[in-house]
Amino acid sequence: MRLPEFAYLAPEDLQEAINLIGKYKNQYAILAGGTDLMIKMKQRLRNAPYVISLDQIAPLKTIREEASRIIIGPMNTLDEIINSPIIKAKLPALRQAAWKVGSPLLRAVATIGGNICLNTRCRFYNQSDFWRLSREKCFKAGGHICHVANKMAVCYSGFVADTVPALIAYNAIITLAGAGGTRKLPLADFYTGDGRRPNQIQRGSNEILTEIEIPVPGDDEKTVYCKYRVRESIDFPVVGAAVTVKKDARQQCLDARIILIGVGSAPLEAKLARDKMVGRSLDADLIAEVAATAAAEIHPVKTDLVAPSYKRKIARVVVAEALRAAGEA
Amino acid sequence: MAIMKKTIKLVVNGETREIAVEVNQTLLEVLREDLGLTGTKKGCNQGECGACTVLLDGKPVSSCLVLAVKADCKSVMTIEGVAKNGHLDQIQETFNEKGAIQCGFCTPGMILTTKNLLDENPAPSTDEIKEAIAGNICRCTGYVQIIEAITALAKAKNAQGGA
Ligand SMILES: Cc1cc2nc3c(=O)[nH]c(=O)nc-3n(C[C@H](O)[C@H](O)[C@H](O)COP(=O)(O)OP(=O)(O)OC[C@H]3O[C@@H](n4cnc5c(N)ncnc54)[C@H](O)[C@@H]3O)c2cc1C
Ligand code: FES
Ligand code: FES
Repeated sequence: MRLPEFAYLAPEDLQEAINLIGKYKNQYAILAGGTDLMIKMKQRLRNAPYVISLDQIAPLKTIREEASRIIIGPMNTLDEIINSPIIKAKLPALRQAAWKVGSPLLRAVATIGGNICLNTRCRFYNQSDFWRLSREKCFKAGGHICHVANKMAVCYSGFVADTVPALIAYNAIITLAGAGGTRKLPLADFYTGDGRRPNQIQRGSNEILTEIEIPVPGDDEKTVYCKYRVRESIDFPVVGAAVTVKKDARQQCLDARIILIGVGSAPLEAKLARDKMVGRSLDADLIAEVAATAAAEIHPVKTDLVAPSYKRKIARVVVAEALRAAGEA
Repeated sequence: MAIMKKTIKLVVNGETREIAVEVNQTLLEVLREDLGLTGTKKGCNQGECGACTVLLDGKPVSSCLVLAVKADCKSVMTIEGVAKNGHLDQIQETFNEKGAIQCGFCTPGMILTTKNLLDENPAPSTDEIKEAIAGNICRCTGYVQIIEAITALAKAKNAQGGA
């Protein structure tokens, strides 16, 4: 499997990059660390006559604190996220999540921007062209069928990018820049829920993710990320859960957030589960109740190698684990 | 401005080389096919196995996922650069002694990952060793001898350092 032919562009500033995506509309692929894009291109799931690398654009590598916000450039590698003193001190759950991505060999080059923009995955889609030849093309690959849910006109491919639940739990806001200008939006709104085109950029907005901005969390709240995967060394999550718990002086929950991945085509906020927590103290009974509610809120489909019933059980365990850790002082 | 070929500068095992590469060649392909450094193995070719591990500016990476043009002006160490003056490095000797090698396909990557680990952390715990080699898959040894070899190396290094 070799890479297809393409022309390589490495703009040195953001404006130049924006001009290029304006010029080559939908004919290009943005290259960050390449740990996903290179494979997609080898598997012929992505064909782009132009590859635009962002690694010469220095401002996309910032990590800084500014007016009680932490600003993160998308081109920071996951290792750089893990090793950043600011992130270690202020956003520990983001560090936990970055650490849980793949293996060290990947984290040395994989970026946080690439993780946020990661496409959804499915056992029938993320395969070589040779493998896929033995069946009709699925929706996501441009065909007319879903091999997981046979025939229904929906693509169920799963969202599994590990840093995203923690970022959403921390209320991250992202900046997208394109020929039409720059806009900011809450990270949760970036995702469409459509397995074929799971985020706004994949929908064809011709934009670049240029910044991630997170309000510095208050001392009264704690966020934790927990992940279950088949091989602890390298795999994507079966289920990942970020939980934020905000408590008052009497140790009762003032507010909470539970964000799950591995359970649908977008990150999912378990709202029913969260509503059970407000005004109550997070003891073992409440944790069991909330985890069971979260597990009932998801509708997993077999897009990876585990059965949906098993995934529900795992979701319950992972949410409970995250709640316990987030509830500790 | 869009280009299909580019001349890059790579410091390969300490030696500066200028190489004309196709922009769609991976670093792995350039090392194996253009430079003849076939010690770097091609396993899965999709980031899963770690057989293609090289040290890029000192850090282990899967060279099958890195475009050669992205390595421009960087230094690359492959397994061919580990032995010095015809003598195996202590890491290689210890892997031999401890039976940490069977078919050998994972070994170049395993050795380079070990080199980076011990350079950065001379006294790794067993968990830190497991974490470091998480991306280097071995289908033969069951990892036990590999972990023993790395533990022995760390001990020897510390004994030397302490003496
Ligand atoms: C063996 C293996 C295991 C893995 N395990 C995990 C895992 O456990 N968890 C996990 O989350 N991921 C995992 N990954 C996937 C991947 O390595 C990570 O998600 C990584 O963070 C992707 O970042 P990248 O910089 O390499 O992205 P790239 O491959 O460079 O890009 C990914 C996508 O994002 C787009 N993109 C990147 N940056 C921008 C930007 N700034 N603006 C607009 N679009 C952009 C690209 O065009 C592309 O579509 C794994 C991959 C492999 C090969
Ligand atoms: S060949 Fe590169 S990781 Fe397997
Ligand atoms: S010795 Fe055979 S794969 Fe490791």
